[in-house]
Amino acid sequence: MRLLVVEDDALISRSLVDALTPLGNTVEVFACCSDARAALRQGGVDLMLLDIGLPDGDGLSLLAELRDAGDRTPVIILTARDALDDRVRGLDLGADDYLAKPFELAELEARVRALLRRSQQRADNRLGLGPLSFDPASGAASLFGEPMALPHRELLLVESLLLHAGAIAPRETLEGRLFGFGEVGSNALEVYVSRLRKRLKGAGLRIRTFRGLGYRLEEDDG
Amino acid sequence: MIEVEGSLKRRLGGWLVVTVGVLGLALMVEAWVSSQRAAARAFDAQLQAAALTIAEAVRWQDGIPQVVVPAAALQILATDSQARVFYAVLDDDGRTLSRNWPVDIPVAWQQALDEGGMSRDLTTTLGELRLHAQRVASAGWVTQLPVQVWVGHTLEGRRALARSLFERSLSRFIAMVLLTGVLMGLTMRAALSPLRRLRRQIRGRGADDFSPLAARVPKELHELAQALDHLFARQRQGREDLLRFTADASHQLKTPLAGLKTVSELGLRSSDPDEWRQALTRVHARAEDTSRLAGQLLSLARLRHLDRETALPALDLGELVRDVALDWAARERAAEHDLGLGSLPAEPLKVCVEGWALREALGNLIDNALRYTPTGCEITLHLSREGDWARLSIVDDGPGVADAALATLGQPFQRGGRQDTEGSGLGLAIVDTTARRMGARVQFANRSPQGLEVVLWLPLAKDEQDVTGAFAAGVNPGEST
Repeated sequence: MRLLVVEDDALISRSLVDALTPLGNTVEVFACCSDARAALRQGGVDLMLLDIGLPDGDGLSLLAELRDAGDRTPVIILTARDALDDRVRGLDLGADDYLAKPFELAELEARVRALLRRSQQRADNRLGLGPLSFDPASGAASLFGEPMALPHRELLLVESLLLHAGAIAPRETLEGRLFGFGEVGSNALEVYVSRLRKRLKGAGLRIRTFRGLGYRLEEDDG
Repeated sequence: MIEVEGSLKRRLGGWLVVTVGVLGLALMVEAWVSSQRAAARAFDAQLQAAALTIAEAVRWQDGIPQVVVPAAALQILATDSQARVFYAVLDDDGRTLSRNWPVDIPVAWQQALDEGGMSRDLTTTLGELRLHAQRVASAGWVTQLPVQVWVGHTLEGRRALARSLFERSLSRFIAMVLLTGVLMGLTMRAALSPLRRLRRQIRGRGADDFSPLAARVPKELHELAQALDHLFARQRQGREDLLRFTADASHQLKTPLAGLKTVSELGLRSSDPDEWRQALTRVHARAEDTSRLAGQLLSLARLRHLDRETALPALDLGELVRDVALDWAARERAAEHDLGLGSLPAEPLKVCVEGWALREALGNLIDNALRYTPTGCEITLHLSREGDWARLSIVDDGPGVADAALATLGQPFQRGGRQDTEGSGLGLAIVDTTARRMGARVQFANRSPQGLEVVLWLPLAKDEQDVTGAFAAGVNPGEST
């Protein structure tokens, strides 16, 4: 994967390179907007980490340019902690995620991985995590390449969880997808989740419950 | 925004003109009347004297009165002005014994006349006359016919006297008004001079001079000067707070930075990779704390500068709480804890607060819970409505806090009575400050069998407050727990 880091603090960009390169990425660092713009024009960028305060301009305007040009390259914006309003603006402008400085490298790696996976899935139109995959075109799920015979609602659950791969799938979203927007019993969703859990046992995948919030499909090793 | 509305001098001058005008009119009328009266009195006395003089000159010869009007009497009657003088001596039957003008005295007057004399105004063809009459009877033992002496003169003399008396009063009055005006101007100048002094003093102050005013002011300006002093004091307080905060913050940051420097220096000095590793681990932990501290200091500084003036749009508390919970639950930091969302109310709860500040406060509470509870603990956010308040609580099932430390938990640098933690002691102070800015209240309580509950009571937006009366009892925040 080719990653772009646009960050003017040498220490931070250096550690970003050191953290992301071992994950099998090529990381290029730019310290100002204009250099980054040139690199983006060449294309082939899989993900951009964009700092908002840059010496030659606002990172947000670079993001706006990018989206205006129809470029869907995933972007994670890096903001200072006291600039949470920028975060909101950034997300409005089409950033895919944000991280507030100072961040933990583990956090950063997880976000980058999740975002890369999502954009990858968008690219080849297949959803997958570990051995589990779902083909939206045929509506079929498979585990280790074997097709899974799943009832309709469990299939919808697999699709929804994979759509959010690596992130929490909010409870309301899942309920809406599975049951429509009518009244749902409080544990109806939990019933389907526990059924799916049984099926995924031993596949190196688990569904973690976030009480009151939703569920996250994650790989056992982290 | 200062608007100039009228002028103090003009206002005072206006009042002066009005009062002096009204007063002057009254005084003029009074002066006119009294000068008329004075002139009348003076001339009536003259007439009386002239009448008496003539009366004394009456002689009776064989019971028949003989009159020779003495020149002295006429002298008395004559005035400086060109007044015409009249006299007539009549007997009791109205027969004229002597007169200088053919003026008929009304019979009714003649009959009404007695020893006391009488004064009358009479309009004749010769003009208006002032008449005085005296009845004279001889004091002898022979019965004699009494006579009536009528004297009078036209009114020019009186008028001239009255006019000159009035003119004298008028000129005195005008002189007085002019003098008053001048004095008033001087007084105003003198009275306003403390204001001018105050202005000069304030204008001459340095930008960072917040010392109390050292000015002598009259009682009326005392309040203004006090208000100014109060303002200066508050500004001074604000600046001192800011300076102290900056100093505190620098100190807070300096200590961990010094530690970082020492640890890394020691690590560099060694050539043993194991020691490097240890040093790096320590550097990492310390750097993490330091950056958290810096973030918190920044939040505090920002909170202090929250603009209270602007009206905030109402935001849905449920949405914000869910958002924050999702945000934190997804973080790596929370991976070892069970961070979840409890019950949310079905209908939206609107509050008028700064969204970022509330997020920051909630984040600090969640961060604290993650930091100070063992892994595997449950941390749950609850939101409910009680009366006109939203009750937002963060509950954990960790070890809780010593009861003695509960009350001071919200104060800076308290660390829940624990000196062993690496926390800055600022997290809950931020929550507390935020809450106070929002008109909210924070409550800390231990739970049984274990755990800590932090409750944020937020006032609902005005149009959200209950009008149905279902909660009309008006639950007081905090009393229900």
